Amino acid sequence: MLIDGLLIGGLIIVVGIGFSLCFGVMHIVDFAVGEWVMLGAYTGYIMVRYFGHDPMIYLPIIFLIFCGVGWMIYPLIYRAVSGKRHNPVIMGLVFTFGLSILAKGGALSVWGYHIQSITTWLSGKSISIGVLTIPALRFAGFVFGILVTILFMIFLYKTKFGIIIRATAQDRDTANLLGADVRKIGGLVYSLYAGVTGMSGVLIGTLFSIHAAMGAKYCTLAFFVVVLAGMGYVPGVIIAALGLGLLQSFVGVYIGGRYTLVALFMVMYGVLLITPKGILRRGI
Amino acid sequence: MELQASKAQAVPVPSVWRFTPLGLLLVICLILPWLASPLWIRIATEVLMWAGLAQSWNIIGGYTGYLCFGHGAFFGLGSYVTGLMMVNLGWPFGIGLLFSGILASLLAVIIGYPTLRLRGAYFAIATWAFGEMVRQIATILDVTGGAFGLQLPSFLNLRYFYYVMLAVTGLTYLTTHFLLERARFGYKLLAIREHEEAAEMVGVDTVSIKMKAFALSAFFPGVLGGIYAYWVTYIHPDSVLGAQLTDFMVVMAFLGGIGSLWGPFLGAVVVQLLQRILWLFWGEGTFYLVIIGVAICAVVLFIPNGLIGLMESRFLSPREAVSQLKKTFKW
Amino acid sequence: MILQSNDLVKSFGGVTAINHLSLTVEKGTVFGIIGPNGSGKTTFFNLVNGVYTPDSGRVTFDGKNITGLRPHRIAELGIGRTFQIPAPFTKMTLLENVMVSTFIRASSLKESRKMAWEILELVRLDDKGNTQVANVTLEDRKRLELARALGTKPSLLLLDEVMAGLTPAEVKGAIELIRSLRTRELTIIVVEHIMDVILSLCDRIAVLDYGQKIAEDIPDQIVNNKEVIRAYLGERYSARN
Repeated sequence: MLIDGLLIGGLIIVVGIGFSLCFGVMHIVDFAVGEWVMLGAYTGYIMVRYFGHDPMIYLPIIFLIFCGVGWMIYPLIYRAVSGKRHNPVIMGLVFTFGLSILAKGGALSVWGYHIQSITTWLSGKSISIGVLTIPALRFAGFVFGILVTILFMIFLYKTKFGIIIRATAQDRDTANLLGADVRKIGGLVYSLYAGVTGMSGVLIGTLFSIHAAMGAKYCTLAFFVVVLAGMGYVPGVIIAALGLGLLQSFVGVYIGGRYTLVALFMVMYGVLLITPKGILRRGI
Repeated sequence: MELQASKAQAVPVPSVWRFTPLGLLLVICLILPWLASPLWIRIATEVLMWAGLAQSWNIIGGYTGYLCFGHGAFFGLGSYVTGLMMVNLGWPFGIGLLFSGILASLLAVIIGYPTLRLRGAYFAIATWAFGEMVRQIATILDVTGGAFGLQLPSFLNLRYFYYVMLAVTGLTYLTTHFLLERARFGYKLLAIREHEEAAEMVGVDTVSIKMKAFALSAFFPGVLGGIYAYWVTYIHPDSVLGAQLTDFMVVMAFLGGIGSLWGPFLGAVVVQLLQRILWLFWGEGTFYLVIIGVAICAVVLFIPNGLIGLMESRFLSPREAVSQLKKTFKW
Repeated sequence: MILQSNDLVKSFGGVTAINHLSLTVEKGTVFGIIGPNGSGKTTFFNLVNGVYTPDSGRVTFDGKNITGLRPHRIAELGIGRTFQIPAPFTKMTLLENVMVSTFIRASSLKESRKMAWEILELVRLDDKGNTQVANVTLEDRKRLELARALGTKPSLLLLDEVMAGLTPAEVKGAIELIRSLRTRELTIIVVEHIMDVILSLCDRIAVLDYGQKIAEDIPDQIVNNKEVIRAYLGERYSARN
């Protein structure tokens, strides 16, 4: 059960990192984060439905597709948060809110309220590691999460681009002065975020059911993780996501499944009130 | 933006003419139930409810600049409280409604005290979490009927509900007009929205004012929730406490024009109309959400003052619009 | 004595911005505060104004201990302040901006409006009273800052680098304006970088460096003060002197 929580947490990390980076670099709270997951899941579903094969194969393609979509949408978001609007963060928030409604409405129109799911070669299988027997798929999801996290970390801390991104996140104006094209950086980050989140959507689709309103759940999780970790503080996301998984499992088993969400919200709300910058106070 | 310079330099218009459009609207609203079919009365009642809800949200979201994403909680609270008070304690309808409103305001004060300290995005997320939390709690508690909801006895009279809804929504607009548009309270809220620190420096007690605004903005949804509960006779955590309720309030206020008196009303009408027209022609109930989503995005990008703002300012000429678009996509 | 700070200390993280600062300002004078960048001038204002609460020390205004009070309360008590970078209420007109600040003194909206017009006339912005802030120049916004601070009918006015960003001609106008305010029984503390301005306007000047007061004197003496020269120009120049 504990392991279960950790495994799920691993996958959520991916969503959390992208979302956190989004806020850190561009000060945009993407209300549509859950919708990216949902769209990713549905895209995976469509591909499996029309082209067959295992959804895992489509992961890279979906990554590229979503990167592209993110790249195209970003100029609009940029426009929403800049200019003489009186409150850029709020305008960005409302804009992404609009996007989420758009996405959800679109999904509902096309697929209605039916619940779908997709299966991969790992579904239903189990892996034995030492004394534990765990569902192979969840393990795969976890591995995926860890892999993406590692890649992200390498990217952020070891490559030139990564350093530029982190610099922009910490001090936008100075980075600007030093030659970083803040707008392009933002676009890059947003596309990566969209791509990664879309990809994770596919995996989530194999693990859980796919339906048009699933976005809300992942939005909740992303918010939770990022609030706990501190907005914009990426390393914290790992701990927070794992913590989330653990919390869910813990509450589910010891207090009762009905209370998991309440516990979740209470913790999130509490953290926001006491240490809005995250438990480690490293947020923005 | 209602509170603009035009007040000081407005061309004096004979009062009679200025009130005519409003008067007409009022007359139509008053006599509607006697002229329209039950279907239209129902539609009008719903539009009125949303107009009231959107305006209430506008008080804290539009004028004060604190986007509350959990406002539906106050509505749901009102629904449940009124329902329970009447069913379990046998209170009369009016008292139940009043109590709901006051309770909602109280909750707003309790929640507001810690939450209003947070800045923009954090406040949005915190209130969102709060809203969801309330919904989950309602799903768990037995007294609220849990996930099965609450069944309430029916009053039946459609016209009755219409007038009650009209009265409360009207009260919402009157309050906004007198307390926000024409008074120092409104200016203070705007000052807080525009630059909270500076407002504090010129003597505005921001903490106290924000709390008052929040409490005020929670009162009407509480009452409206109570009316709604008895109007539909069956309430359920997802129907009266769902995030989609708050979403609609936000959408309507934004679309119509935040920070304005008539914006939310216009927004409510447009959204409701859109929903029903699309349903009528395509027999399908969710595509209008796509249009709404696009509309919100468009509002943020091009007309942040909403449709009301559009009517008050000049339109972009085609050439300006094209150059704006070009600028947006230029790398 | 209208303002006194006693042994103020304020740190942020590891940086001590204000290091045991004690100052006294006499009523009706124009007091200047100068110092290199980062010496704590704006932080000092923030401490007086209530934006920050000192870690230790006290601020006394007109005999009253105002340490730790909230800014709006301090404004009520009679301290007005301008921001270095103008912070107007953007979606309102100039008139409305000033009106908000008069709310604590006027008893009705009508009276507020009247008072606001008077102040706009004083700062010579009355011709733009009904213009939206967005459509107004930087110089006008600086004057608006001043007007808004005046709206609270302060007995102590804190001016934070009002001259920054102004052309020489505009600076002259600003000096005139501040001089004219002077005759109205008001105490003014001015933080500035432009030496000419400080020297011509102030009765007394305090010099800050690294959060401490390194000198306080009349203008003529300050320019010759060794410590001041050292703080601004470094050891070499002060030795030369």
